[in-house]
Amino acid sequence: MTRHHEHPDPERPASRPAWLVGPAFGLLAVWFVWFAPAPQIPASGSVQIGKAALGPTARATVKADPPITRVGAYEYRCSDCHRLFQNEAEKTVGRVQHTEIVLDHGLNDRCLYCHSQADRDRLVARDGAGLSYAQIPELCARCHGTTYRDWQRGTHGKTLGSWRSASPERRRLTCSECHDPHAPAFAPEAPLPGPHTARMGEPPAGHRPEGGGPPSAPFVGAGGARGSGEGGAGR
Amino acid sequence: MTIRIWEGKSAGAPGPCGAEPGFTRRGFLRGATGAVGGMAALAAALSPLRDLPDDAFPSLEEFLQKHYKEMTPAELADAMERVRAEVEGRYGVVPTVRDYPPIEGVRFAFALNLSRCIGCRKCVHACVEENNLSRSPEVQYIRVLEMPRGTMDLARGDHHYDRAEVPDGGHYYLPVQCHQCANPPCVKVCPVGATWQESDGIVVIDYDWCIGCRYCEAACPYWARRFNFAEPTIPDGGLNPDMGYLSNRPRRRGVVEKCHFCLHRTRRGEMPACLEVCPVGARKFGDVLDPQSEVSQILRTKRVLVLKEEVGTLPRFFYYFDERYPRDAGSPGPGEGGEAGP
Amino acid sequence: MRDYLTFLSRCVALSFVGGRVYYAWMFLLTVLALVGLNAYARQLAHGLAVTGMTDQVSWGLYIGNFIYLDGLAAAVVLLVIPAYIYRNRALRDVVIFGQLFAVAAVIMCMLFVAVDLGRPDRFLHLFARPNFPDSMLTWDVIALGGYLLLNIHLTGYLVFCQYRKREPDLRRFVIPFVLVVIVWAITIQAVAAFLLSGLGGRPFWNSAVVAPRFLASAFAAGPAFMILTLECIARGTGYRVPREGLMTLRGIMTVALALHMFLLGSELFTAFYTGSAHAGSARYLFLGLDGHTGLVPWIWTAIALNLCALGVLFTPASQNLAMLSGACVMLIVGVWIEKGMGLIVPAFVPTPLGEIVEYAPTLDEVLVTLGVWGLGLLLYTILVRVTVPVLTGRLTIDTPGRGARRAAGAPAPRRPGASQSAEEEIRP
Repeated sequence: MTRHHEHPDPERPASRPAWLVGPAFGLLAVWFVWFAPAPQIPASGSVQIGKAALGPTARATVKADPPITRVGAYEYRCSDCHRLFQNEAEKTVGRVQHTEIVLDHGLNDRCLYCHSQADRDRLVARDGAGLSYAQIPELCARCHGTTYRDWQRGTHGKTLGSWRSASPERRRLTCSECHDPHAPAFAPEAPLPGPHTARMGEPPAGHRPEGGGPPSAPFVGAGGARGSGEGGAGR
Repeated sequence: MTIRIWEGKSAGAPGPCGAEPGFTRRGFLRGATGAVGGMAALAAALSPLRDLPDDAFPSLEEFLQKHYKEMTPAELADAMERVRAEVEGRYGVVPTVRDYPPIEGVRFAFALNLSRCIGCRKCVHACVEENNLSRSPEVQYIRVLEMPRGTMDLARGDHHYDRAEVPDGGHYYLPVQCHQCANPPCVKVCPVGATWQESDGIVVIDYDWCIGCRYCEAACPYWARRFNFAEPTIPDGGLNPDMGYLSNRPRRRGVVEKCHFCLHRTRRGEMPACLEVCPVGARKFGDVLDPQSEVSQILRTKRVLVLKEEVGTLPRFFYYFDERYPRDAGSPGPGEGGEAGP
Repeated sequence: MRDYLTFLSRCVALSFVGGRVYYAWMFLLTVLALVGLNAYARQLAHGLAVTGMTDQVSWGLYIGNFIYLDGLAAAVVLLVIPAYIYRNRALRDVVIFGQLFAVAAVIMCMLFVAVDLGRPDRFLHLFARPNFPDSMLTWDVIALGGYLLLNIHLTGYLVFCQYRKREPDLRRFVIPFVLVVIVWAITIQAVAAFLLSGLGGRPFWNSAVVAPRFLASAFAAGPAFMILTLECIARGTGYRVPREGLMTLRGIMTVALALHMFLLGSELFTAFYTGSAHAGSARYLFLGLDGHTGLVPWIWTAIALNLCALGVLFTPASQNLAMLSGACVMLIVGVWIEKGMGLIVPAFVPTPLGEIVEYAPTLDEVLVTLGVWGLGLLLYTILVRVTVPVLTGRLTIDTPGRGARRAAGAPAPRRPGASQSAEEEIRP
């Protein structure tokens, strides 16, 4: 251990600059109170989505069995009109009534494939047996067997009310509560707004172009993602 | 040659220290101005605390409140009463705050049908409404990724897709929320035990115990946790007054929150909000211990996968596919609505 | 006991005494600490939203500095191995200063964790209901607290003995604690590394080499920091440790830095040769990801600095003190970038869901960080300030109040407790 004893002078601070310490602190205090920078909190552009925009929990209501059409104060059954108007040709185009119906159901392109010609208040299976409107799943099951099986198990479709399998509140929606029987594919819809959570509300500057990631895709799905791997990594 | 800094250069003059006897008046003044200036600067440095909201300081009861698991029923009732009063004070709405203990003999699980999901983000916003999530800054428990077909690499998903219409034929949609892992890394890392797994599998957070270290956020492999960086805001009329103590009661700044499978609903038998709003029935929820439940059926009969199985978290959130191959697979193009219809 | 109180109060008084540069330096540090406090008050008022952190990048500058200082605190104390185990006398005094720095560094670590908390008012929950042994953060709290106490004891005891002109009872009060502190120093580094490497969801951290890398970089940066400190002490007080002590430090530093670079290279090879999807973070850090290149210039600067330092250290030129100091500065900055920001931030980019949100600290965050450093260095300066006269024998129990000034600059105090920070020091 080296010890330096060659400077035994008593301590003596520099006296004049020391006078500056107090005022300097005072200036600092003034800066703190009046001139300190404002916090950099980005404005958050959040989106308000009301409950209304979320839509109903079921897409359509179940039709009564048999279905009732109201015109003014009068209630009609299907058979009330179709007793008079028979459609022998089973045509689906050139309709003068029911023009709002778009039949887009694949190979199932005739009204009478599902609607009973004999009893207009009922449905019909392809083998000719009648089905009531309460039996829509059985009707659909004639073609969509696997989906029907899934629906029975609960692996297809939507269940509301309760998750308990024995609960009386539990209600499994039927086919036509979600799907339009005439055009069962769901129409594309506009998505609700995306997240704005990057740095507390700023949308990220130019979101990530897809396929620009590292060359890690084990197999090429959407076209051409692979080639850009090395390039995307460059600066 | 050393330059002596601390001990001064010239010799002989008396020392400078404070109230040393025989000490000069000048030295005293110097010290005093320095001390006064220092104190002023110290006080002034704290001046931004003026901006603290009035209710920013925890009340004494809140400060002394015990951990949820250690509270007696009476203490818990007091705590819920305090929450009720706070919510009423802040939002002008009288809520019902209840404690929903887990149901014996139930293990919850979620299943999501990737063949069905159309990426409409309704679940995201229904969750925001149900769970009193902050609208600004925006907090959302569910993230929906638009994934190119042919990959499960999440890095290639798009979080911010903004199309006129979904689904897009070249993509599938992957919603991600808390997976309520059976081996939850977030619970393991929490230094204060503010988050834990309950017997029904739901991982909950005691918002009054969390210290806001965000270690759980770093630990979560599914990016499911959110931190309240600023004071959450809920617009007038946007508050859901049906509250659970461990679920959707309003959070305060500085704590972590996340999806809890809507436990204030599910523990009284109802369905989660995200499931109810799903327009295509892609979400399934239930009790895996009940062989008749929908999730049990899915686990038995469907092609099921979990995200990041390799990290060993054992999620309770499963993804599955229908057997049927979508009819327009491989033909990318907007608005073809491939998976949607049977 | 009376002696001890007198000693403490003398220390407090002594910390207010100094020359022009001492005052300027202390004033600067005080201002830094106050500015940091001011920024922290803003953070308290507005929440952590004033920082650049997000849910995507949920840790940033604070935790980066915590990790860095944790390493420094460990490394400077590990110099006790040569000093006490191998009886390297030249390093004994170095070790005292190292341990003093460890005290300051651990306090800085704790402050960095504290300013990172969303609810600092619930800090006590860490002790009320610790999640032990599951949470590595709980381990870290215990490790840091214990480490702080050990170092306060060791330095305090040795300095107080010197003050009382007694031979320290090495066998009873020093050697056992030295043995513990060696293990403990490695532990705090390992625990800090495990804090990160134990997270399976972050592939960038989830690597066995993180802990060795921590130790290696700490062993490089710690001695570098000590060399610079000793240089400053020598210039400020004329108190010089022997040259061979510095050269021992230089040797340790060189080997550690070389090892560190090797470990870094191993990690890079593993990440980039396989081209795994898990390399996203490494890719972001070194090359940029999808046009996001925020950290790329920083990491290459760090690597360049480290390589330059290594180059200088390998040549005999570094036996020159100026060259050595230059290398130390490069090394300290290089390791700071690499271990602080370069290790913490990229693990969050991309997020586990593949989203890329970049992180840059805000002004307030930088100010808080500077404030913590200012406060820590202020504390360290005071500790060194009172230790040097004791080690040089100019402040002892025999030094009378008035005469003390003449002899060693230790005026008899009248205002004990005038300094807040002095309360933390030397408490055997």
